[in-house]
Amino acid sequence: MGILRYADPPPFPIQNKHSHYDHIFEKMEELEAKGEILIFRITDEYKPVEVYTRTGRIKKIPTNKLWHHKSCGQCGNIPGYPASVFWFMNKFGLDYLNEPHQTSCTAWNYHGSGTSNPVALAAVYLRNMHQAWKTGYYPLIHCGTSFGSYKETRELLIMDDELRKAVKPILKKLGRLTEDGRIVIPEEVVHYSEWVHAMRFKIKELYEKEGKAEGIDVSNVRVAIHNACHTYKMIADDYPYDPEVYNGQRPAASTAVIKALGAQVVDYSTWYDCCGFGFRHILTEREFTRSFAIYRKLKVISEEVKADVIITHDTGCTTTMEKNQWIGKAHGLYYPIAVMSDVMFAALACGAHPFKVVQLYWNCSNYEPLLEKMGITNWKELKKEWEETVEYISKLEKEGKYDELLEFFKEYDLYEPYSRTSDGFKRRRSATADMPLFKS
Amino acid sequence: MEGHNYGYNIPISEKTKKVPLEEKRRIIEEVKSDFRFKEYLFGCLNCGVCTASCPSNRFFDYSPREIVQRFLEDDVEVLYDMMHEYIWACSQCFTCWIRCPFVNNPGGLVIIMREVAVRNAFEATKDLLKPYGRVLLKVMSTGNQLSADMLQPDFFPDWGPKMQDNMENLRAKRMAIPFDVGKAVKTAWEVSLETAIEMYQIWEETGIFDMLERLDPNLHMVIMDIVDENKDRWEELMEEEEEQ
Repeated sequence: MGILRYADPPPFPIQNKHSHYDHIFEKMEELEAKGEILIFRITDEYKPVEVYTRTGRIKKIPTNKLWHHKSCGQCGNIPGYPASVFWFMNKFGLDYLNEPHQTSCTAWNYHGSGTSNPVALAAVYLRNMHQAWKTGYYPLIHCGTSFGSYKETRELLIMDDELRKAVKPILKKLGRLTEDGRIVIPEEVVHYSEWVHAMRFKIKELYEKEGKAEGIDVSNVRVAIHNACHTYKMIADDYPYDPEVYNGQRPAASTAVIKALGAQVVDYSTWYDCCGFGFRHILTEREFTRSFAIYRKLKVISEEVKADVIITHDTGCTTTMEKNQWIGKAHGLYYPIAVMSDVMFAALACGAHPFKVVQLYWNCSNYEPLLEKMGITNWKELKKEWEETVEYISKLEKEGKYDELLEFFKEYDLYEPYSRTSDGFKRRRSATADMPLFKS
Repeated sequence: MEGHNYGYNIPISEKTKKVPLEEKRRIIEEVKSDFRFKEYLFGCLNCGVCTASCPSNRFFDYSPREIVQRFLEDDVEVLYDMMHEYIWACSQCFTCWIRCPFVNNPGGLVIIMREVAVRNAFEATKDLLKPYGRVLLKVMSTGNQLSADMLQPDFFPDWGPKMQDNMENLRAKRMAIPFDVGKAVKTAWEVSLETAIEMYQIWEETGIFDMLERLDPNLHMVIMDIVDENKDRWEELMEEEEEQ
């Protein structure tokens, strides 16, 4: 069976059926038959769940045996974001691989500064994908920009033989082709929010069983959804839409999981606007970023729908909207509102520790009233517990008690460090750990 | 008024006027010869839906419709002038792309223009990207674009007092993340040495290091020092492994 399928009858009034983009799936199979590429297929071992895209195409979302294509913005600046994804995967007993043989997609840099080119972007994408394929774990892309950029890069690779010809010799030098000289391209580019979307009913079950048992209740929480531009505006035809979310006329991911949890999704007039991140703007045109975030998102959401929380599904949007609130006080434009990603909110609802797992201490938004409203009324004690842990770690390190630290982490950490890695992985040197400039 | 008599109301800069027409044409042809150009521009109704929904248009003198129109008119003078500062207002959100009835991608045109501006080391580009150097240093040398220590409160006083608290005792806080997703401080995660070496090879083969040298020779020098050091370490490691 081919990898391009549509629902019959269409699940909702669809747009652009048989669109130019969907044809890439037929073209991929042609290229595979010619021996140019190898499609990294989503087989049953990845426990795929089917979702619809904007064109009514059926997209398979792998839910198990996943290779985490981490996000530098999330790991660096919103650590509770990937931690919540991992927490859920542990809860569901799913297999996954988190290894250091991955670079960033480098697309934030490209969109912000223009200092790259499509061949470099394609080489970075295909190197990371080849690494995932080599391990047998299917790539799950954490960042919205990586997801958008990879979707576009894949389309260009499939439709343009000039790009394939340019990138192939580079991959050959890197040893990143198959043994018979083919480029590895995954069947689907999959974003973590699609995984959350596919898993929403399991998440609901966990909430009913464990979250509610702890007194958590999200039914009164008013949630405004902010969809990330690079997930649904870049290669718009490749993102989940669903009849249960605005009759298939708006992106379904994030909204659907919030609805499944029973919280109140509230609609607001500027739902389609970006957050103001702008790639270079958040660093070098900051007045624009904060003005846009305040005037077009925070103010509108506060005044029109009085939401308790803005739910995002990308790195830049989360940072932009949670960090640019306090400054509004300077102009009488302070609209305090919690901001976090769908998976962080879902993890809180299911009973995850707000500080140890969801890492809310990083969050500059006004999240405390949200925790109270969700029924996590002991958040002050949990915060104290977290702060004491940090103090303890700091003290042991300062005193050079490394054996005690290792013992502590054996009990404390929620993962097995590098236990499941590729090709009998032995921990080699890091590119950064020993260097004065980047010594961690 | 000086400049174009409609739409693009910014006077053509003196710098642009001094550049020979052939040079301006060469630059615009470089943009148009990019293989993506034909995928990003199909036609234009002049409906303005792109500009009406453009976030940058709300705060800057910037219009995606103008960019599309100038390409269709082959207005070399204005397009060349736009490549200095105008195009850097774009937020790269691609709202224009999803909304255009022709499926034009003005944000995509902008990224090609930016790339060509960087490749040709436009002076304005050098100035605009100076504050961006830390990101370039990080991504070119480590494979990560961001890290925990980049959000220093000194750089972001407008993010408020919670930000100050966040950065205190940062190393211990990172270690207290119970998953290996962010235990490092100066990178997002510890990229393995062999992975970084592969990435350097990609930068070399695709001309990115050369591009960077033209844009910022000092930054390029710092990055190349790190690259060379890492390559030496990799060779040492390979020798050690062979001996074993």
